[in-house]
This record gives sequence, structure tokens and C-alpha cells, in this order.
Amino acid sequence: MSADTASAAPWTWRSLVPFLRPDLRSFVLALGLTPIIAGLGVLQPILLKGVIDEHIIGGTGEGLQRDAGWYLAAVIAVFVVEGVYTWVLANAAENSILRLRHALFRQVLSLSQRFFERQPTGQLMSRATSDVEALNEALSAGSIALILDICLMLSALGAMFWLDWRLAGLLCLLGPPIAVVIEFTRRRMRALYAEIRDSLAAMNSYAAERIAGIEVIQLYGLELRVTERFSELNRRYRDANVMNNVYDASLYAFIDGIASVCIAVMIFWSATNAHTAVSIGLIVAFLDYIERLFRPLREISGKITFLQRASTALDKIFWLLQQDDRITPGDRSAVDAQGHLVLRDLRFRYRRDSPWILDGVSLEVQPGEVVAVVGRTGAGKSTLVRLLARVHDGYEGSITVDGVELDRIRPADIRRTVGSVRQEVQLFRDTLRFNITLDDATLDPARVEAAIRESGADRIAEKYPEGLGHVLRERGADLSAGEGQIVSLARTLARNPALVILDEATANVDPVSERILQEAIERLFAHRTCLVVAHRLSTITRADRIVVLAGGRVAEVGTHAELLALEGEYAALYREGMGAMAG
Amino acid sequence: MDLPRVGTLRRTLPYSLRFAREYVLPLWRWYLPGVAAVLITNWLGVQVPTRMAVGLDKLRAGEVGVATEAMWIAIIGVVVIGVRTLSRVWFFTPGRIAESRMRESFFAALLRLQPGFYSRSPTGDLLSRATSDVTFARALAGFALMQGANAIAGLVAGIGSMLMLSPILTVAVVIPCVLAYLAVSWVTPQLMAMQRVSQKQLGELADELLSSFQGVATVQAFCAEETFTRRLDDRAANLRASSLKMTRLRVIAIPLLTVAGGVATWMLLAVGGGAVRNGHLTAGELAAFVALVAFVVMPLRVVGWLLPVFQRAEASLERIYLVLDEPVERPDLGLARRPPARAPSLTFRDLSFAFGDAPDRPVLHGISTTIAGGSTVGIHGSVASGKSTLLRLLARLQNPPPGTVFVDGVDLRELDLDAWRTGLCLVTQTPFLFSETIEENIGFGAGRAAVAAAAHEAALATDLDALPAGLDTVVGERGIALSGGQRQRVALARGLLRPASLVLLDDVLSAVDPRTERELLTTLRSRTEATRIIVSHRLSALVHTDRILVLAGGRLVDEGTHAELLARPGPYRDAWDTQDEPADEGGAAVRA
Repeated sequence: MSADTASAAPWTWRSLVPFLRPDLRSFVLALGLTPIIAGLGVLQPILLKGVIDEHIIGGTGEGLQRDAGWYLAAVIAVFVVEGVYTWVLANAAENSILRLRHALFRQVLSLSQRFFERQPTGQLMSRATSDVEALNEALSAGSIALILDICLMLSALGAMFWLDWRLAGLLCLLGPPIAVVIEFTRRRMRALYAEIRDSLAAMNSYAAERIAGIEVIQLYGLELRVTERFSELNRRYRDANVMNNVYDASLYAFIDGIASVCIAVMIFWSATNAHTAVSIGLIVAFLDYIERLFRPLREISGKITFLQRASTALDKIFWLLQQDDRITPGDRSAVDAQGHLVLRDLRFRYRRDSPWILDGVSLEVQPGEVVAVVGRTGAGKSTLVRLLARVHDGYEGSITVDGVELDRIRPADIRRTVGSVRQEVQLFRDTLRFNITLDDATLDPARVEAAIRESGADRIAEKYPEGLGHVLRERGADLSAGEGQIVSLARTLARNPALVILDEATANVDPVSERILQEAIERLFAHRTCLVVAHRLSTITRADRIVVLAGGRVAEVGTHAELLALEGEYAALYREGMGAMAG
Repeated sequence: MDLPRVGTLRRTLPYSLRFAREYVLPLWRWYLPGVAAVLITNWLGVQVPTRMAVGLDKLRAGEVGVATEAMWIAIIGVVVIGVRTLSRVWFFTPGRIAESRMRESFFAALLRLQPGFYSRSPTGDLLSRATSDVTFARALAGFALMQGANAIAGLVAGIGSMLMLSPILTVAVVIPCVLAYLAVSWVTPQLMAMQRVSQKQLGELADELLSSFQGVATVQAFCAEETFTRRLDDRAANLRASSLKMTRLRVIAIPLLTVAGGVATWMLLAVGGGAVRNGHLTAGELAAFVALVAFVVMPLRVVGWLLPVFQRAEASLERIYLVLDEPVERPDLGLARRPPARAPSLTFRDLSFAFGDAPDRPVLHGISTTIAGGSTVGIHGSVASGKSTLLRLLARLQNPPPGTVFVDGVDLRELDLDAWRTGLCLVTQTPFLFSETIEENIGFGAGRAAVAAAAHEAALATDLDALPAGLDTVVGERGIALSGGQRQRVALARGLLRPASLVLLDDVLSAVDPRTERELLTTLRSRTEATRIIVSHRLSALVHTDRILVLAGGRLVDEGTHAELLARPGPYRDAWDTQDEPADEGGAAVRA
């Protein structure tokens, strides 16, 4: 779980400011309301004491109803102000969360393939769902609510000292031991939260993967094996939570019980210090204040929990936001591209310690030319496609299109310059049309229609009553592999790229789909500059030139006939294919 | 309100009751001491204000024994700390146990369900049921039960103590509280409906996230980051809107309970004040009353917490039980016959089939033929001709209609499913790999030697040499660290490892070069104990089969040997004439 070990991201609460700022007014308003709420709250026991001491036990009872009415008014005022406070705060929190989510979506979608190879999707999803929710809780019920609680407690304390400083001072002696207990528990719980989060993430990604691979599990009768492993992960999560509950329960009960001890101290003190007149009203007011002191204190543990949760969640969120493993975007525009591709001494390897996959490839494709690339498995064909499609960065040597270095071209221009059709087809749960256009508003509608016809995607759409409006299943499960490739080709053609990089599918395409594809490829070859990683003889022979890759270098270049005559690598490849056909 | 009216609490309660019966009741050994601890806590709790009343009155009268009362109150306070801790632990722990058991049953249920179910249910949504929905069920079994018990005990103890002091004042306290309770329960059904919507939206967000992240390569290649960010933003905005709608109601409903406490205290002053002046009540007793208001308000506030917990749990339990109750298409006809151990013969009798979600678009039409035990049969057909569906029916990933497929004369549906699949090997065109080692992906716990042998058979040996850790290479999510061809060969090795009596290969031989293909076919043919069906778009793989079935548009349009089919006009000969010879060994480049 590399994400979790590496989660010590340098961030501070300040990092959150950009997400909160647009709602700053609301946060400030909520903050401004806290002393009002605290003030109205602290007024209530004073009013209560006044009524009891002056109108019930002493006095004539004349002002009783009037002063009791004031007490009621204070109660209602708190209700109204608190309502406004909660609403304003929730609104601001939800808005901030929306912005944070947006930033996460953007960030994740911008990261490179290499990053996705290391990060389980389940964990990335947790960042934008449960981790963000944890922050939401902290914002709406943690942060400012915590300030409100502190205001409430401080004002209650102040009122107690104002009413009877000796009694208040005596009760304050209980403070330090309470603080020690809270801090001790808090530390223990923080460690447990990390464990809870980690075990949850592990369980989630395990489950996500098994659900995705359900057919394999069923076909191979792995249900028991998988269930057992899942139970193990589930139990780890449960046990961490059970431990956490024990601390939480003790803390809650401790704070609750201490209130009774306070009452005992007050009565004891009154009994042993007869010279100080402690009125019943004062005791009632103090009881109220103690309740007001302890209720927030009890809930503070919950609110600190929110903050802790948010803090662990933010560790991960900001770790993700700070990831910089992306393909560097270029800044050069490339309009009216001709598709003149030049590779010069191109070298590439996936990791610094791995061998060179491309080891000095030089190659030129003239505008309008069709070049086929062939080679054995491991010759570097797919890697070449990945580099040209800008899936991977960090090559040595140069790749230029119309004289502009590939990695300098602006992202907005690159898809119109170099379009790639890769073997792995990715389809989304949306309409066929969406899968072709990807809702790109800059596409020329006429071009899209042309691409649909050119690729033969219209023949797939014909099968459904909704036509191009047909909504595909998850991962396009209702299309065959060949049909998926046709949609994928349409997607590329809709961008009208000057240069098309085509990684021809090796497998799964039956003759009929293949015929549709062949026709599409012929149209493609006639009108565009193409670099094709070819697997079919028909494709190869239609190319203007054939480049044979071997060991990451260009081994041979020429036409089909020339290369056969050469009796080298190409001839060997060709014969192996022929041998298979002959049986 | 634009939301559909959803049932009242009573109508939806059955899910909670069922959950209680199936998951909570079996844990009664935890809850029983928990209930006892709650009762003791509350009984001790009311002792504090009543003893305080006695103490205060003694104090005012200048009597002795005040210090003793104070000491008792302190002792009670300390004891309550211990008992209350236990009461919470004894409720929360079984809550967690119930949660983990339910999650396990849910997951186990998922593993049993058929492809038809999965095509209807997005993975992200299922996942959010297993994670977030289950936690709402736990809140019901832990937090809600504890607070419920606490509330009842608190109410009984509090109101009981009040009644002993003054019945009239008790009524004065209870009236505002009951009114507040009614107001809250009026709002409840609306909150409940909103909760459902919000949970559905969370599922939709998770789903959209999953597909965007998994398709990220395409998103980036086509600079569609903006589009996909917008799609995600839309989902997030929906979530925000429904969340704020709920807040609007909660802002009014939840503090109402606290207000009721304030109103009750005001009633005590207005009504009780006179009583003290008249001498019907002592000042200490009035003070105790004020303290006891908390014993009525606390349970009320708890009710405020409980209602959302109930709503969420009901909505979540419904989502969980929908999956648990999903009929498993694994017919238990009570026959569960043992499948044949060796090379079964297969008979199709007028087999027609349509997927459950498109019953009007049959994928197979009236297929009738027989495949002899121990023979090798090829299947040829275009895309959507029904080839893969036929294999899937044989593997019973979908069930064929009754009376259409027979294995050695026995209806396929009557065979014991697990036993049938044990003797079956289906390798599909789109292999799925788990993010484990290659060894685990091939053997699933079978011995290393067997795995290595299967890998060799599947022509994976050279790939393994090139990989950093050989069989111990971890392949990444969905096998992302391997090339497409390598993934298929891993899946092939996985299939070859099993001692199967029926081997079904769905266009997998294209993953290997022609020479290896020939070797593999020879190996397969030598397995005389098995019946073999090979679907291939590369016709060379079909040449040496005993018989070839030609499918078109879900119909069996022709069958015969390679030579027979070439001799007459038809789709097979057309395909043979138009095909190209493969010029290289296929498979994508090795990615180290």
C-alpha cells in the first residue's frame, strides 16, 4: 500500500484555505454568531438564579412570571440564532467540499499511467468519497463547532467566577486531572484511527477487485478462498474499531461521572463553610453551568474525532493533490499539421534500472505516407505507440511532428496532430455517441458523422433501436472486442488527426468485424499519414514502407518484396506465419 | 416536495426487524449484560438529584448529615463511570460484530450471483453497499440500541423520580417534551426519503469515479479531462443539493428538543415557584426537579439522534437485503446430479436463448446438434453470432432454458453446479487478472510445480524469464503490468492447470504465435479424457478439429469438417478466402 506509507504529505490546515475562501463570509458569519449563542446560553442560568432566589425563595413573588418570561425568551433566542448558524455553516461546508472534490477529480484525471499502475482504483475512490466526507463532517460539525464549544465553556466558567469565585475556583481544581485523561485517550485513539482507515482501504480494494473478477472466481470455484481472505480483512477492521470504542466509551463515561463529583464537592463545601451563604438559586445555576461545561466537553471528544478523521483523510487527500507524476503539457501550438513524423535516436525504458526497450530508433514518416511497424513480441512496438500517444513521458532522443518536439505541443492541439488507436479499448457507461465524441464541444459535427461512417460504427449502431443513443453497459460489456475497436477507431477519426498511430488488434476480431475494420483502414490509408503497428499481412502489404523492429532498434526497412529478398528478420517472421497457415 | 412519497416508518420497518432477527438477536449474550448496565447507570443517575434535594434541604434547615449525602453523591458518580463504560462497550461491540457478519454475508452473496445481476448492478454501487450501507446497519445494532435502552431507562427513572416529588410539576415538564417529540416525528418521513436519494447519489458518484479512473488512459489521450471532471462535478453537486435539503429540515427539527427542555424549566419556575411559596414543595425539591429535566430531555435528544439513524439504516438495509434476496440462478432442483467424470457428450435440443435484460433480442435461435464425448469441435462465426454465449451457457454463467442442453443425456441444469464447474475449463477472450502474483493468478493456491508446468504449456515461460520476479511478479490491478498477450497466456495457463473433462477456449489461441498454437492444439488433443470446444477467429486453429460448427446471427447455419465446409459455398468458405495470414506472433510488447 504505497499510498499509505507515503502519506506523510507536507500540508497544513492553511492548505485548505483556497477551498474555503469563496465562502469566507459564511464562515466568518458563523464564527461571529458563536459569541452570541454563548452569551445567550450563559444568560439563562443567571436568569434562573434570579427567579429562584428573588421571587421563589425570597421576595414577594410579584415579578416571578415576568422574569420567568425573560428566561423563556432567552431559550427561544438561542434556538433561532443556532438555526441560522447551522444553516450558514452547512452551506459553506458543502460548497467547500464541492470545490475540493472538483480539485481531486481534476488532479486524478491528470496523473500519468505510471501513477495508476501503482495506485489501486479503490483507494483513489476513497479519497474523493469517504475521505472528503470526513472533511465535510469536520467543517460542519467539527471546526467552528469546536470554537463554539470553547466559547460556551469559557463563558460558563466566567459566569461561575462572577457568581461565586471561591466555589468556581474550587471546582476548577478538577480541571487538570480531566485534561490528563482526555489527552491520554485522544492519543490512543489517534493511532487506532490510522489502523481503521488502512484496514478499511485494504478491505475495499480487495472487494472491488473481486467483484470485478467475479466470473473467474465462479468459474474456478474460488468462492471459499476469497470469502476467507475477505473475512480476515473484515475482522482486522472490526477489531480496530472495537478497541477504539472502548476508549471512546471510557472517555464519555468519565466526563459524565465527573459532573456528579462536582455536585458532591459543591454541597460538601457549602456544608463545611457555613459562613458563606450559598443560595439554592446559586446551586441550581452552578448545576446548569456544570452541565454547560461538560456537555461540550463530552461532545468535544466526538468533534475532535471528526477533526482527527479529517486530519488523517487530509493527509491522504493532500498527498494525492501533491502528486506530480503527470505527462508535462507542452505550450507550442501546432495548427495545420501535415503529420511529418521524425524519430531521431529514440531511447526509452520504463524504469531507471530496467533495460532499454527502445534503444536508438530513427525513423521518418513523410506526410501522406503509410509506414508499417512489425516485429516480435518485446521488440518495442507497443512502447513506441505509447510514447507517440503521450501515455509515457521521459524519452531520450527526439520525436518531432512537423518539426515540433512532441512533448512541446499543447494538449489542445495534440489530439488533432497525433491520433492513436490502441489495442486496449476503453468504453464508458454512456451512449455510443458519447463514447465517440467524449462530449468534446470543439468537434465539428460533420466530421463526427463522417468518422462514424468511415469507421463502420454506424453498422454497430444499427443493431440497437436507439442507434447511437444506445447506452453501453459498464466497460462496454455488450459490445464484442471487434466492435469495441471500431468504436475506438471512430473516436480517433472524429478528431481528424494529421497523423494516425494505429496499434492493430491482434486478437478477437472475427473476419466480419475485420472486414469492416479493413475497409476503414483502407480509407484511412488513402487519406492520412499513418504509422501502423501491423499484425495482418494485408495491412503490411498495403503500407508504403515496412519498418522491422528488433531489440529496440530498426533492423530492416523496405517494401514487402525488398524485405523478403533480404532473407533477414522479416523473411523469418513471414515464414513462421506461412507455416502456421499450411498447418 | 418533488421527492416521491416513500413509506412511513412503520411500513419500512420490516428491514430493521429482519436485521434484528438475523444479526442482532443471536448476539443476546452481549446485549443482556449491556441492558443490565444501562439500568444500573440510570437508576444510580437519578439518585444524584434526589440525594442532592435532601442535602440542600438539610443544609437550609441547618441539620447534620449533609457531608454524608455529599460523599454518597461522589461515590455514585465514580461507580457510574465504570458501569456506563461497560454499558457502552457491551452494546457497541456486538454492533461491530453484527456489522462484520453482515458485510461477510453480503460479500458471500455477491460471489454467488450470476452475470445477469452484475450487468444490471454497477460495481461502484455494489461496493458502496458493502462499505457505507453496512455501517448504517451497524449504527442501528450498536449506537441506536444502546441509546434506545438508555432513553427508556432514563425516561422511566427520571419521570418516576419526578412523580414521587410532584405529579403536577411532572405533567408541566412532560407536555412541552411530548409536543417536541411529535414535531420531530412529523419531519421524519421526509428526512427518510431524502436520505435514500442522497445514498443513491453517493452510489452514482462512486460509480462515475470508478469508470472515469479506470478509463483514464482514454480520457487523457483525448483531452477529455474537462468533460469527465464536469460529469463528476454534476454528481457531486447533486449530492450537495440533497444534503442541504436535509440540513434545512434538521436545523428546525433537532434543536426543537433542546428548546423543549428550556420550556419545561420555564414551566417549573412559573408553576413550581408558586408551589414552593405555598409550602407544597421544598426549595431542594424544586432544585432536584430542575436537575431531573435533563433526564427527560436527554432521551428526547437521543430520539433526535435515533431517527436519522433509523432512516439511514432502513434505506441501507433495503439496499443490502435487495442483494441478499437476489435469486441465485443456480437451480436447486433437488436433483443435483453428479456430472460425468470423463469427456462428456453434449446435446443441444432446439436451444434458444436471450439475456434477461433483452428478452426480445434472442442471441441463440433453435440450435440442435450433438458433440461426441472426447471429440474436438471448433466454432466459427462473426461478432455477435452467439459463439461466446454458447460457451457461457455450457459453463452455466447463464443458465440455458430447461430441456435444451444435455450432458451425457442429463439436463445440464440438473447437474450439481460446483461439481460441474470443477470439471470444466473456460478461458475467455477478455481475461481478468487479480492484483496478486502470477503464481496466485494461475494456481489460486495450487502447488508451484503444477503452476510452472501449466505456465510452460501456455507458452508463458519466455515471458516469465523477462519479468523481474518470474512467477512471483505482482501483476497490478487487472494485470496492468502485463501486456494483453501475456494476460491471455496467464489466463490460458490458469485454465490448463485444471484436470478438466470439458475444455472451452474462447478465442484465446491468438495470444500465442503460430508454432505455439500448433503445440497447444496437440497438447489439447492428447487430453483424451476431455471434450474440447475451440472458438477461434484464426481459422488455422480450426483446421484439425473433428468438426466445425458455423454460427451466424445466433443460428447454426452449417457444420462439418474443415474439408467438407471448404467444399461447399457458405460463410466458412468466404471467411477462409478473405482471411490474411498472420505475419507475426501477436501479443503486445513486453513491458518490463
